[in-house]
Amino acid sequence: MIVDDLFDLVSYRIHPEAHIVVDAEGCKDCAHRACTFSCPARCYTWSEERARVEFAYEACLECGTCLLVCDRKAVDWHYPPGGYGVRFRLT
Amino acid sequence: MPPAAPTTLGSDRGAFDAIVVGAGPAGTSAALALAQKGFRVLLLERGDYPGAKNMFGGMMAYCPAPEELVPGFWERAPWERAVTKRVLSVVGGGSSTSLVFQAASDSGRPSAGGGSTSDQTLTGFTLFRPQFDRWYAEQAVAQGVTLLTGCRVEGLLLHDGAVWGVRIAGAEDVVEAPVVVACDGTLSLVAQQAGLHTGVRAEHVALGVRALYALSEEGIDERFALDGREGATYEFLGCTEGIRGGSFMYTQTETVSVGMVLHLDSLKARGVPPYGLLERFVASPPAASLLRAARLVEYSAHLLPEAGTRMVPRLSAAGLLVAGDAAGLCYTNGLIQEGMNLAMTSGLLAGRVAAEALAEGDLSARRLARYAGELERSFVLKDMKTFDRAVDFMREDRLFTVYPRVISALMEDLYRSDGTPKEKIGPLARRALKGELPVRALIADLFRGGRGYL
Repeated sequence: MIVDDLFDLVSYRIHPEAHIVVDAEGCKDCAHRACTFSCPARCYTWSEERARVEFAYEACLECGTCLLVCDRKAVDWHYPPGGYGVRFRLT
Repeated sequence: MPPAAPTTLGSDRGAFDAIVVGAGPAGTSAALALAQKGFRVLLLERGDYPGAKNMFGGMMAYCPAPEELVPGFWERAPWERAVTKRVLSVVGGGSSTSLVFQAASDSGRPSAGGGSTSDQTLTGFTLFRPQFDRWYAEQAVAQGVTLLTGCRVEGLLLHDGAVWGVRIAGAEDVVEAPVVVACDGTLSLVAQQAGLHTGVRAEHVALGVRALYALSEEGIDERFALDGREGATYEFLGCTEGIRGGSFMYTQTETVSVGMVLHLDSLKARGVPPYGLLERFVASPPAASLLRAARLVEYSAHLLPEAGTRMVPRLSAAGLLVAGDAAGLCYTNGLIQEGMNLAMTSGLLAGRVAAEALAEGDLSARRLARYAGELERSFVLKDMKTFDRAVDFMREDRLFTVYPRVISALMEDLYRSDGTPKEKIGPLARRALKGELPVRALIADLFRGGRGYL
């Protein structure tokens, strides 16, 4: 198994609007950036170029990890609208 | 499944006696308990169908609650394998040491009561939540529950601290009912809005990540030495690279769930991505040989309550009850992991208390507080309390780092045959502990562990 395979196997119905909004200004000087390694869906990445956390909601597994590891209240967290988001088929 | 049509509900005020948020095992149990007393229940599920949002790599321990709600439950429910074999392995260095429990097998016997052993109370069931939750909700619909899927509850309708309905996201609509049962999962956002707790914290939960592998039914029977519909659960301690938590492999009929459960505060402190840990675990000796040539088919992640009674919120308010993961009713003490049975039992009790309160026309905070009393009298809160100290003990980092190494070193020396004279266990243990742990710390841990388990 290689990590990239994992993410290719998840199915979604993606809503055009993000269900989680990250205040990338508010977290600019965060020392631990725990979201970038704790998120099991790799939704958070640190951009050296822009010197900030970048967030993409599409691959979100709706677990809530980012909400709980952030201590700057920079994550405005909601579940996706009804019927949208991750859809586990087998689990 | 009826299609999602929340916008039609607004014109239908007063159509429901109770609203249940979340069609998982707790919510559907609550809905069934209410419907059986003749109440009109609306069961709301944010997924396309019940179970669409649920990942579960584990085993549901037997409990009598669902049989009270759905006759013949254990014969009819779509479970995968009846677990008769439980393996706990400690992995350190290059070796692992295991404890294997095997319930008496009775595979020739037709599977009365669900299990393939003669004693189903020794049995748990592996299952797929998208199938199981969907089937269970269908039983509720057959008993008169109105199920709406694709419906995300945005918030509660509150007046003077009393709940009188829910607001549905997107539909700009409200549904009123005298009582709401919140079974919305670990983050417990509904109960938080009602002020029953102030927010779930990282030190309260564990992150579960899971990969699902396909194998043939015969292949699984052979590799795990299983017969018929028998299943096995494997737990591993010491494979989490110092993070508090464990790894697991559970057998379904034609698939194996492989994953890790990691204390979120410990994961955060360690700074390692969970999927990287999973990748290395899958490639490591205990897992790799069991998964040889198996095909990866799905990946999922979820948070689990893991703080014992410490994270159980206030369980009710005027017009509101909380059950299942949303009430923090889920625990592991290292040997036992339980959640779904606690969810179903708490859902059943919440539904019954709500039904009695509706019959009396008294949905006050005081009346609904009897639910907490029911949980206290049931095995649900009794078990959580019994193992509270053990759950605390699971927050000791040494259990996941030092002890697996010490146990492996001791067992390696015990079995080593190299032409030099052997020693008794005492000197071997002293050598294994040397440089790893002062004897005083060992005694303190044994004492704490003893208080947790003995």
